[in-house]
Parts: sequence; C-alpha cells; structure tokens
Amino acid sequence: MEQHVTPGARFVDPSVLMRIGNLELLARTVVEGFINGMHRAPYFGASIDFAEHRGYVPGDDIRRVDWRLFARTDRYYVKQYEADTNTNLTILLDVSRSMQFASRGASKLEYGSYVGACMAYLAQRQRDRIGLITFDDDIVAHVPPSAKHFNVVLHTLDRARAERPGNLPRPLHKMAEHFRRRGILVLISDFYEEPDAILEAIKPLKFLGNDLIVFHVLDPAELDFGYEDASSFEDLESREQIPVVPESLAQEYRSLIQAHIGALTTKFSEHRIDYTVLNTSEPLDRALFSYLSSRERLMHVR
Amino acid sequence: MTFLTPFFLAGLAALAIPVVIHLIQRERKRVIEFPSLMFVRRIPYQSVRRRRIRHWLLLVLRAVAMALIVAAFARPFLRQGAAAAVVGGGARDIVILLDRSASMGYGDHWNRARDAARAVVRSMGADDRATLVLFGRNAEEHMRATSDRARLEEAITAARVSSGATRYGPALKLAESILGRSPLKRRQTVLISDFQKTGWSGSEEVRFGDDKRLSTVSIGADRTANLSVPSVSLGRSAFSGQERIAVTAGLSNRGDEGLKDVPVTLTVDGHELQTEHATVAAHTSGSVTFAPFTLAAPNVRGMVRAGSDVLPADNTFHFVLAPIAPVSLVIVNGVDGGERADASLFLSKALSIGTTPTFRVDVTSAGRLAPTSFDRHAVVILNDTMFPPAGGAGALKRFVERGGGLLVVAGDRSSWPQGEAELLPGKLGAPVDRTAGRSGSLGFLDYSHPVFEVFKAPRSGDFSAAHIFRYRAFEAGPTDRVIARYDDGAVAAAERKVGSGRVIVWTSPLDDTWTDIGVKPVFLPLVHQLVRHLAHYEASTSWFTVGQVLDLAARAKTKADRIAVTPAGERISQAGSRPNEGLLELDEQGIYEVRSTGAANGQPEALAVNLDPAESDLTPLDPRELVATVTGRATTPGPAEPVAQQEMTREEAERRQGLWWYLLLAGLLLLAAETAVSNHLSRNEKFL
Repeated sequence: MEQHVTPGARFVDPSVLMRIGNLELLARTVVEGFINGMHRAPYFGASIDFAEHRGYVPGDDIRRVDWRLFARTDRYYVKQYEADTNTNLTILLDVSRSMQFASRGASKLEYGSYVGACMAYLAQRQRDRIGLITFDDDIVAHVPPSAKHFNVVLHTLDRARAERPGNLPRPLHKMAEHFRRRGILVLISDFYEEPDAILEAIKPLKFLGNDLIVFHVLDPAELDFGYEDASSFEDLESREQIPVVPESLAQEYRSLIQAHIGALTTKFSEHRIDYTVLNTSEPLDRALFSYLSSRERLMHVR
Repeated sequence: MTFLTPFFLAGLAALAIPVVIHLIQRERKRVIEFPSLMFVRRIPYQSVRRRRIRHWLLLVLRAVAMALIVAAFARPFLRQGAAAAVVGGGARDIVILLDRSASMGYGDHWNRARDAARAVVRSMGADDRATLVLFGRNAEEHMRATSDRARLEEAITAARVSSGATRYGPALKLAESILGRSPLKRRQTVLISDFQKTGWSGSEEVRFGDDKRLSTVSIGADRTANLSVPSVSLGRSAFSGQERIAVTAGLSNRGDEGLKDVPVTLTVDGHELQTEHATVAAHTSGSVTFAPFTLAAPNVRGMVRAGSDVLPADNTFHFVLAPIAPVSLVIVNGVDGGERADASLFLSKALSIGTTPTFRVDVTSAGRLAPTSFDRHAVVILNDTMFPPAGGAGALKRFVERGGGLLVVAGDRSSWPQGEAELLPGKLGAPVDRTAGRSGSLGFLDYSHPVFEVFKAPRSGDFSAAHIFRYRAFEAGPTDRVIARYDDGAVAAAERKVGSGRVIVWTSPLDDTWTDIGVKPVFLPLVHQLVRHLAHYEASTSWFTVGQVLDLAARAKTKADRIAVTPAGERISQAGSRPNEGLLELDEQGIYEVRSTGAANGQPEALAVNLDPAESDLTPLDPRELVATVTGRATTPGPAEPVAQQEMTREEAERRQGLWWYLLLAGLLLLAAETAVSNHLSRNEKFL
C-alpha cells in the first residue's frame, strides 16, 4: 500500500487532481471574504462585474449614477458591481455505520473522504478557508474553517470511523446553530432518511445563505441490489435482520431507490441545492469532473 | 379419545425437527450486511408481515400433518358417547345371554347376573336394540329384539333360576342365529354366566363371524363351598318274601374346605327314617349308607338331604321306589325221563341269580306243557326239544303275537313242524360237526342288538373263548335278523318279530354238551340279556335328571287322558288320543305326579327328577378361552371391568372406527397442500 507522509494524503489522488486541477471551485452564491478572490462577495464592490441597477437614494455616490439610463428613463439609477472574495468551505461528512459499507473496493466512507479531500484541496488552492465536520447521530469531529487547516482536515478524514448509527437532523441542527458566516457547505452522506426529513434537516443550513453542495454517496450494490442467494440481510444501522430472496426483491428495490433519488433531486433543486449522486464504483475523477463542469456551466448561464 | 398403541405418540417429538432444522439453518445462513434495509422493509411493509405469517402457516401445516400421521400410527379410537356410536357404525344389536342354570342359585350369583344384564340394557343407546335369551340346558328367546329398555328390565327382573344344567352351545348358536338375521351392522353378544367348566366342551361348533362380537361377564366366585348329593344307590334284597331297600347316598364336596359332621337325612314318603353324620374332605366324595327298610308298595317317594350351603338345590336328591316284579319263564326240556334229566341245569341256575329283575323259572317237558302255561309266563324257552304239542294249532304263535318271548335253543333233538314255520326265523338244518381240527367259536356279534349291547364296550365279555363243537345248521329268512354268527359264517343266533313278541333261535345248546359256553363268564349275562329282551323287561327308573323328556303315552300304555303336575304345582294336561302330545319335559327338580283321568281314584305315578350332577361342579372356565374358541380371536381380560366398558374391546372399537385411516389421509392431504402452498409462495417469495 502506498504510504503518505501526511495522514489522509492518500485521499488526494494525483490522478484525480490532474483532471480537475485546472477547474475552479466557484461559489454560486455570494460569500463573505476578506481578500479579493475568485468568489463574488456578498457586497457590491469595485469589481468590473456589473450586478444590477437600483434607485438612487440621497447619499449615494453620484459617480455611480448611470447617466445613460437617466437619459432614457429620466430617473436616477445607481449601477452596482459584484465584488469577488474568498470564503469558508466546510465539508460535512456522514460517518454513520452505514457509510462503512463496501460491496467491492472503497467503502462509502472512503469514497466520501476522497470527495471531501479533493474539495478541500481545490478550496485550499484558491485560498479559501477549509473546515470539516464529521457526524453520525451527533457531531463527531469538528475542524474549524481555516486556510491552514488543510492538513488537519486530511488528518481528521483519515481518522474517521463509521461506528455508530446515524441520524441526520440532530447533528445538522447543531451545525446550523454553529455557522455564523456564509460559506460553501459540502454535505456527503448516503441519506437513509425520508426525503422530507432530509430536507427538513438541511433547510437550517440553507437559511444562513450558505451554498450547499450535496453528494449522495451510494455503493453499486445499493443501487442495483445485485445479490443472488437468498440470505439474511442485516441493517448496519439498526442491526435488524431480514431474510430476503434478492431475485424476487431486486426489481422492486431498484425502483424504490431510484424513486428516493428522484425525490431528493426534485426537492434539492426546488431549494437550489446542488445534488449529485456518486456511485462508488465510478472513478472519482470522472464524478468530480462531471460535477464541477456542470456547475461551471450553470454559473456561466447565470 | 384413546389410543391403542400410545407409545407411537412419542413420534410427536418429531414435530420439533422442522423447527430445529429451521433454527439451525438460520444460524448457519450467510448474513449480508447492508447499509440500510429501509427500502427492503418498504416492499411493502404489510406484505412482509403477511409473508412471515405465511411461513408460520406452512410450519403449522407441516406440524399438523406430522401430528396427524403420528396420531394415525397410535391408532386412536373413541370409547363412549354419541361420537363413538357414529364412528363405530351406528346402532347395535345386542343379545344378552343370561345363564339361569341351577348353579346360578349359588349365593348372590343370580342377583349379580341380573344386575349385569340390567347394566347392559342401560348402556344401550336410543337406536340400540337387545334380545334377552335365558339359557340353561336349552336356550329360549325370552324377549325379542327391542329398544324398550323398560320391558327388557322387567323381563330380567321376572326371570328365575331354573333347575337345568349349563350348556353354552345352544345359547351361543341361538345368539349367532339372532345376530345373523339382524339388519344392524354392530352385532354383539353379552354372555353373563358363572362359566361352569362342565357347560363347555369346546366342540360345540359355534362360530361367530367377524361381524359379531362376543363379550363376557363372569359372576363366578373364586372360592366356592358346595356339598351335593349327586346320586344314590339302592341295594335291593329279599327278606321274608318282601323286598328291602338299603339306600346309599353319595356325597361330593367340591368346596375348598372340608366338612365335618354334616347331617344326612333319609326321608321316605315324608317320614324321616334316619339321619347320619358324615365328614367329607375338600374336593373329595363320600357316602352314607342307611339301614334297609321294607318296600311294600309302589311309588314310594324317597329323599336324601345333606346339610345346607349356598347352593341348596344340589343338597337334595329325590327318588321313587317300587318293588320289582319278577320275570316269569318256563323252560321246556325234552321228553320225560330222557337221557338228560338235567338238560336245563345251566339255564335254570343262571336265571336263579338275577336281582334286577329276579326270574321265576318253571321247568317242564314238552309233553307236560299245558296251553295255559303260555299265559302265566312271559318267556318260553324250548331247550333242545321238539315242538311242544301244546303250542300247536297256533297257540304258541298267539302267545308270541301277544307280546310273549320265545327262545329256541337248538340241539340234537330240536325239530320244528312245517306248519309253524312262520314262527321260526328260518329253517333248521342238520347238525354241523366242528370237532375236527380246531373247534368253532362265535365270530360275529351284532352289538347294536339289545342282547349284545351290554357287551359292546371293550373287555365286557369274551365270547371268542367259548368253544363250539357242534351246532345246528340254520338258514335265516330274508326278513329275519341274524344277531350272531360262528367263525365259519354259519348263523349262531337269529331273531324274528312276530306280532308284539319276539322269537330268537340259538343254534347250539346253552349247556356243556356241544359247547363249553355254559362255563364261560359271558354265559350268565348272555342268558339274562336274552330273557330280559324277550320279556320286554325295562328296569324301573327311580329318578330322572332335569332335561330328560318322557313319553308318557308309551309309559301309560293306555289312551286315557293324563294330567301331569310339576313340582311347582303347574298342571299339564295331555290327551291320550294324541300320541304326539305325550311328551313331558322334566325341567324342574322334585317329584312330578302323573295321573290318568280314567283311574281317578288310583295313586298317581310319581317321577323323581334331580339336578344334573354336573351342575354341582362349579369349577370355572376361563371366559377368554370360550370367546377365543367361538370368535377365533384373542380377547383382553374383562371380568373385572364394568359391563358398559366391556361392550367393545379396545381392538374391536379401534378396528370398527378406523379413525387412523382418516387421520393418515388428512395428514397426507395436508402435506400435499403444504407442498402446493410452499411452491406457490416460493415463486413469489421475496423474503425467506
């Protein structure tokens, strides 16, 4: 096995980063920042990117009045420009027991850690602050966002163990109370909850104006239920066992999981949350590349 | 519900096998860890639960099927109740054989027997019917098949012990006949008796088919005490011209304990003559001899009573005495002053010895024989003599025709006139000499003839020891009966019946001239038998045994009407003109009186009737032996069981109900259903 000096460095796969390294992680929403950066600031600033017009109010700088518009409309409008800034990127990684599942190759937890590490790397490269929160039915580990915490984040990812049953709402509510500043939140989980319950748990994070990116990590066995022999299936979360004949059940199961994914897709899009299903059998670079590409395209459309 | 082979129920432990296998398989089964069964549980939630219940249903199906099969092997059956009646084949036809022989009068046997019979009646279902048969020596249908339990109980209550002997054969044959006519499928005979061994010989040839069942209720006692007087012997002697009788009473103690100083009393014509005391050990016999008494008149009624016990009927023995009239006969020798004056010596000496009867012998010669002599004698013996002149002109023939007896002893001097040829059973021929070489002997005797019947048994008379040196050839007529032949086939004796009388020709002298038979042991009984037969002598019977049938018409020899009075006082009238009505069955112990209506003032004839001595033998028979012989099937012991429970043996009930067949079928059907259901389920199975 390849050894790395920095624990968790294995999650930053060079081959992955080679494909996505030239992409910029762009926040779709305004982010607060202290330095000029690639992200638009929540405030209108001195950038060259025009944002909108607004009516003139006494006290506004006369230099900002759009005189051309005044000539057409005979009204005073002020031109506002978007400001670029750096932001906080916090990775929220589900480490509940179901995440340890792996039908072949990497477990969902490992795969999620790869995703988190890559996102952290991208953020660190564009001078964003990086934070990490792991949770199951409570918050397990918390790395506050900082430009210097890349290594700490990797180290924490390396130490993450999926050992306890999970519960989305409780830790997410706690996090919502914790976040004071807007930023990018990357939520990585397998989302074994009802779609409405998931949305209810996530909403508080969205209320603060955070840009929420959701990765739904699923093992291929969870998607196609490709078992053959009749066996007892044990729920990793509850340890409940149910005797199952997969041959008869698979079809119905697949339709249910797809319905679940469809419901989540619909609900997240309604709330303007990026939602991506990651299949752990797919190469990570391809998944991230496709996500970041589509995100960038959407930004341009906007 | 009872099981015939309950040890098979241990097989119910096999019910645990599917469960155990199921549990073992569950433990061994591969467990696949899955992140969440949220969706699995949702497919859909209700159907999951239902399928799990279906699994339980299958398990229950299998368990019930296995339990049914195990129960079938245990051969269940229902003991009682309506269900048992239904599965047992419906209504029963019961024949209650109630023993009322004399031995049932022992102690409380009769009451217990009637209680047992009532119990059988009370165990009857509404559709059952029963026939009450009372039996002793014979069996009679006392109450025909009826479902009326009240009438049956009344009939049982009204039944009485008889004096008859015990015979199981007729009763069982009657029961078999009644059940054979029954339209009902369940046919049952209940035999209630004390099961005397003497009542069953094992060769009665009674056989119940498989559709008829025989159960028994034994009310006999384990230990018995019974003293009986099975017989008396009457010693006759003559004293001073009168007959004296010495009565010797036999005593039999069939009990388990000896008896001491038992009073034995002789009563004659109502007067106690003498009482003796006897000691009889257990299971032994003894006798008491009373002092002789003079018998002067006929129809003297005697009785011997010995002690008293729980079966009093056999402690008394009745008899009737009458003086025996001597048989009168005349021996006709050859001519007076002949060369052998003592020609009839052997005959007269032999006939002077008899006691039953005594013989009054007159000896005369042919010339002196008067025609009136025929009327004064019962038998005429022509002893080696010519045909008597007095018998000529049909006088001797008429004598014979009236019932007289004629014995012709053929010798050298015998001759027979041609005119009287029809009196002689053949033709006399010339003497035959057998002195050359070995002498002759008697080679053939007709033992079916009354004369020789007493010699029929082995070592009862050796006629071959007599040497025959000469005899008269004799050619028997075609209708005459040759009753003895010599070893060369010649006729030794022949008989002809003439009218009511008989004529016998003996073709060699009954003395020591031509033969030595006169000095052989058989001579005396032979002569006595010849005379008794020719005189139509019948010994008077001092007592009869219950069950015997008398032809009163033949005894009376008149056609007068008769009235018979039984010991119980019942009067039975018989018309003398109807010979078929002259039969009287002696079925009561005691003295019967028979009076002819034409002799109203005369003394009635008395007939003493006693119990069959076998009734005193209370040795019990194993009822199972009887049942096995009759049905050909072994039975379980039943005497101690209540009657209601005895009505059907366990094997019989199980065999008739046949529940095992239905259980086995149901079990197999359940297994088939389980197979079909499980196959169907497995096709749509999503969960194990």
